[in-house]
Amino acid sequence: MILPPFELHQPTTVDEAIELATQLRKDGVAFDWMAGGTDVLPNYKNRLNARDHVIALGRVDELTSIGKNSIGALARIEDVARNSRVQSDWPTIAKAASLISSPPLRNLGTVGGNLLLDTRCYYFNQSEFWRDSKGYCLKADGDVCLVVPQKETCYATYSGDLAPILLVLDVELEFRGSNGARRVPLRSFFEYDGIRRFEKAPDELLVRVFVPSTDKALRTDYLKLRARDTIEYPVMGVAMGLRTKGGTVADLRVAVTGSEAVPLYYGDLGLGGATVDEATADAVQAALLDRITCYRNVPFPPGYRKAMGGEFGRKLFLDLSGKA
Amino acid sequence: MTTASRSDSRRGDPARPDNRLLRLRVNGTVHSVAAPPHAILLDVLRDVLGLVGTKRGCDMGTCGCCNVLIDGRAVMSCLVLAHDAQGKDIQTIEGLAFDGPDMHPLSKAWAECGGSQCGFCTPGFIVTCHELLANEAAPSRTRIAEAISGNVCRCTGYKKILDAVELAAARIREAEPASAPAKSGGSK
Amino acid sequence: MRSDRHEKLHPHDDAVQRHGLIGKRIPLIDAQRKSTGQELYTDDLRPADCLVGKILRSPHSHAKIVSIDTRAAEAMPGVHAVLTGKEAPNSFGVLPVSQDETALAVDKVIFIGDGVAAVAADDEETALAALRLIRVEYEPLRAFLDFADSLEEVPEELRIHKKTVDGTNLHKQVRQEFGDVDGEFDRALWKKRMSFRFPGVQHAFTEPLITIAHYDADDRMTVWSAQQVPHYLHRALAKVLEMPMHKIRVIRKAVGGGFGGKSDPFPHEMVAALLSRKCRKPVRILFDREEVFYNNHGRHPSKIDVGLAIGKDKKVAALDIDALIDGGAWGSFGVVTTYYNGVLANGPYRVDNFRYRGRRIYSNRPASGAMRGHGAVNTRFAYEVLLDEAAFDLGLDPAQFRIDNALPAYTKTINEFRITTNGIVECIERACAMAGWKDKYGKMPFGRGIGIAGGFYISGSALPIHWDGIPQSTVHLKADFDGGITIHSLAAEIGQGSDTMLAQISADVLGVPIDQCRVYSDSTDTAPIDIGSYSSRVTFMAGNAVRRAAEEMRRLVIGGAADLTGYPPEVFVLEDAHAINATNREVRVPFVEALRRAMKDRGALQTTGCYSGPPPMGGQHKGAAAGLSPTYSFQAFVVELEVDLLTGKPKVHEVWAAHDCGRALNPLAVEAQIEGCVHMGLGQALCESFDYNKGNVENPNFLDYRMLSSTETPDIHAILVETYDPEGPFGAKECGEGPLLPALPAVANALHDAIGIRFYEMPITADKIWRALQKQKKAAAGSATQGAAK
Repeated sequence: MILPPFELHQPTTVDEAIELATQLRKDGVAFDWMAGGTDVLPNYKNRLNARDHVIALGRVDELTSIGKNSIGALARIEDVARNSRVQSDWPTIAKAASLISSPPLRNLGTVGGNLLLDTRCYYFNQSEFWRDSKGYCLKADGDVCLVVPQKETCYATYSGDLAPILLVLDVELEFRGSNGARRVPLRSFFEYDGIRRFEKAPDELLVRVFVPSTDKALRTDYLKLRARDTIEYPVMGVAMGLRTKGGTVADLRVAVTGSEAVPLYYGDLGLGGATVDEATADAVQAALLDRITCYRNVPFPPGYRKAMGGEFGRKLFLDLSGKA
Repeated sequence: MTTASRSDSRRGDPARPDNRLLRLRVNGTVHSVAAPPHAILLDVLRDVLGLVGTKRGCDMGTCGCCNVLIDGRAVMSCLVLAHDAQGKDIQTIEGLAFDGPDMHPLSKAWAECGGSQCGFCTPGFIVTCHELLANEAAPSRTRIAEAISGNVCRCTGYKKILDAVELAAARIREAEPASAPAKSGGSK
Repeated sequence: MRSDRHEKLHPHDDAVQRHGLIGKRIPLIDAQRKSTGQELYTDDLRPADCLVGKILRSPHSHAKIVSIDTRAAEAMPGVHAVLTGKEAPNSFGVLPVSQDETALAVDKVIFIGDGVAAVAADDEETALAALRLIRVEYEPLRAFLDFADSLEEVPEELRIHKKTVDGTNLHKQVRQEFGDVDGEFDRALWKKRMSFRFPGVQHAFTEPLITIAHYDADDRMTVWSAQQVPHYLHRALAKVLEMPMHKIRVIRKAVGGGFGGKSDPFPHEMVAALLSRKCRKPVRILFDREEVFYNNHGRHPSKIDVGLAIGKDKKVAALDIDALIDGGAWGSFGVVTTYYNGVLANGPYRVDNFRYRGRRIYSNRPASGAMRGHGAVNTRFAYEVLLDEAAFDLGLDPAQFRIDNALPAYTKTINEFRITTNGIVECIERACAMAGWKDKYGKMPFGRGIGIAGGFYISGSALPIHWDGIPQSTVHLKADFDGGITIHSLAAEIGQGSDTMLAQISADVLGVPIDQCRVYSDSTDTAPIDIGSYSSRVTFMAGNAVRRAAEEMRRLVIGGAADLTGYPPEVFVLEDAHAINATNREVRVPFVEALRRAMKDRGALQTTGCYSGPPPMGGQHKGAAAGLSPTYSFQAFVVELEVDLLTGKPKVHEVWAAHDCGRALNPLAVEAQIEGCVHMGLGQALCESFDYNKGNVENPNFLDYRMLSSTETPDIHAILVETYDPEGPFGAKECGEGPLLPALPAVANALHDAIGIRFYEMPITADKIWRALQKQKKAAAGSATQGAAK
């Protein structure tokens, strides 16, 4: 399968990349950033919103490092999963990374790419032929959503694995752009629908993910629902952080992926201060069931995915509180 | 008939307007190649360089038949831009699996254990397992299964593939106990 | 355990006595070529100046073609030929009775993905751009997308093909009845009727479909294609191209998996040939993965109603099957499939009262066809699940229940299949023994379970699909001055090891090392006809043919040794690359010397062996030939699995797969077939499903068409049961398809043991299990509340 033609830019530094992007933007030229290529290239092969210019980041070595309090946006997922510092300081980031796709794709894919992963949908992730025969959708070449028929909102599903635990850890994203650098808390980064997904200027580049130091007593974990133990995107994923004090919930943080068009941070679900017991675990489950909405656009029926969100929340609460 | 040149008569043609020259280091040899910016590494390997041992299975990163090593790491060459692979060290099955007495322990064990039936997925598997065994001297069967989980084999049910990787690992350990990494579990 | 039984049955089979190559665990002869990446597949060929062929496909499920305008495409620089259906209207199909396919759609398109026009161009970009310039005007017709629609009587223009049943879109209907089914149901101790649903599944071979065609300067056509049956392609090409067969050459390079999915002649093969003839250059058509899904010919989506009656003697009293299968757009192997869904339920258990209705519809979807375990898999699931329910309800051990119902060896089924050797009981006993059945069944904690199922399959069809009297398999052997044995056969090596089998038998009979034999099985120009690698026929049929050819070669070589030494031919055996006087082993003539002596007055030695079919057999009823086979394989699996009670996700831990292969000519290869079957069968049971969104295939890719990965495939214990078939080569029967059959029901039966729930719909995915568990919980809570209220 050949790609649609595009002009390729291969900067070697962040500055060069930003310069290129700024120029392209000034020229009114649409372009895509490409990190590992594992999301962009299959979409381009399917002629999904392909652009005339691509800035490939494979040669920008400065963004691959993993530091004491940050992870470079171009760090390979497999490197993150196997990094001893990540494993000891942020074990759930390592776990979530290790659950992404399959080993050769983890060798290509990057942290930034997974975080900013395009949304997925049966009506979207198809070839041009398929979409032409079915009718084009709102997210690419059409004007109506085929999941929930209307013309306003795209219901494609966010499918990144890293976002939930990064939301729990309250990381900040650092972007570089023509106007310099800015930092955004991840918790306020994602919004909107499956097309807009978040607020980011086209010439802004995600450069690093800063992980704040957290109380060592905050225990975290991530559970992922997928049909097979490899390759698959999460069709439901729940990350939780929990610190208890004197038998009550001192700090509870819950985030979900694989449900709506963006990953969602649900905070403590209104359960701060609750007693650590089965009843609170049930309340976690009930609160998640109240909040989670899934659509029929990725594998597994939406009702089941939602139910698993609740089950995972309950299990995580019991596991992390030591009540399992 | 079976050797000649190109499957796609205009790929690799320097006269084609959108082609750009690039230098690819493949199996230790640097090749000057003409390819458009959007050329995929798999296509250049097969159609321009004639390295047809790397197979095209799904073209979308879901089967592993096209895996090659880039700087020692197994990646799907259907999801790599040829121009992005410049300056890197690319190894294909042709560079790993010599025949005769120098046959790679993986290839040898694969043949003995019945790791191939139709064989179409085999080059991709060997490439993947090459990376595994370079990092881990004695992976367990569970670990091997995890490492090959991005490669699809429709014939074997994977059992004889696991047998082959175990056998190859044991032979590599016997042959070069000093240079093999000491611990399993691997790190990069 | 093998030799005693063998000597009893075949005291004259010298192979076992002299410890030749038969029964030896040897690597496949192409294994090193494959494991070093040297093997050449069709797409690895690099013909000079080869064009790229691409097919324009229909975006409609069902539509009349009003007009096609190809002028702009033809005028485009770099385009060498454009083809439409009207240029090649001759129909073809794998079965003589269903010649309903054309190279490209002629008057109307009948599924999304149906070929409408094709181009050959310098490169892929140009070919794709040219396709965009072709203007097709369609007039959409009502699409037929489910069983009920296709069973309706409709006006002629809404019929998907001209030949249908009673003005509907029903393609084929068959009925058979033996004994008194209704009476047995009335008298039954236990009976149940249940409806089972199966989505389609696909072969999902890793090598996409690929064909290169070249109409050359000598006006000869060469077609290289990834094919299981080069001979059927050869016939279809002759018909469509209106060329004599002798001017067409079909070449099969290494095939990257088939499983039935490369056994029909295909439209793209015709298209490549027609395009090449038009522009007189080589044309390559390589499918992308999505196109492979549109080509499909996978297992039929099915709705199968099965009734099982158990008599007061606790034996199977009656079996009543009504199978409705979705054939999609074309006939393909479907007439055979329609029969197989019923008739192949006549083993491995004795059934004296049997009724079957089979119906195959046409629909506006990619065609269904033959896939590993052809026609037998889905009905087998239904039957084995009901058997399990019967045993459970009657308080019987399901393994023993199956043994008590097993057909004996050397018998006839009610529909007059001739059963020869039968290892079903040994299969059940050995699988259970290894699995620890008695300690596990019904005794494991909730969530963990063990299940059993049996199976039975043909070893090739007794009657070929073309009734023109040609042997089903012919093999030629040539031995020349260099001492090498050249084997010519058209049995297609598709990874199953048929080349190895041919070499192994030749080497065994001729007493030479296997590397002295070389197999040429790739070209219709040089190989005698063999009807190819499907229907689990190759080891049995081509194996018998090569054995005969090799035995004749042995006679000639021994003649040379006799001439050289003056001893009579009868005293010689061929061993260790020598002709040896068995009565005085000092007398040894090197094989090559004996061969050269034998060549003295005749040149290179050439011998022929063939296999035409078993002796006449079978009943006189309609459809009696369907499912008739010279011998049948038998199998029984035990599956142990665990359900994650949180998510419902099933995890199969181990499979004990016992298979009666008659004789394991090469245990390594037999195990390999069994293990591959287990993988594929478990996939259909647990996750594979060809999903539709109306007329669109929803998951035409390897991400969403889910095969089990290495992480889900369990530990598989292949158990080889050898019963020494009297007509199989050295006692061998098939091993490539039968071992798929028990996998599905054994999983479902193990799930029942694990969680007490029956599943009647494939695939049994986590969400279905979880939902069933929820229902079970609610019911338990409900009955507890009720109990408390009382």
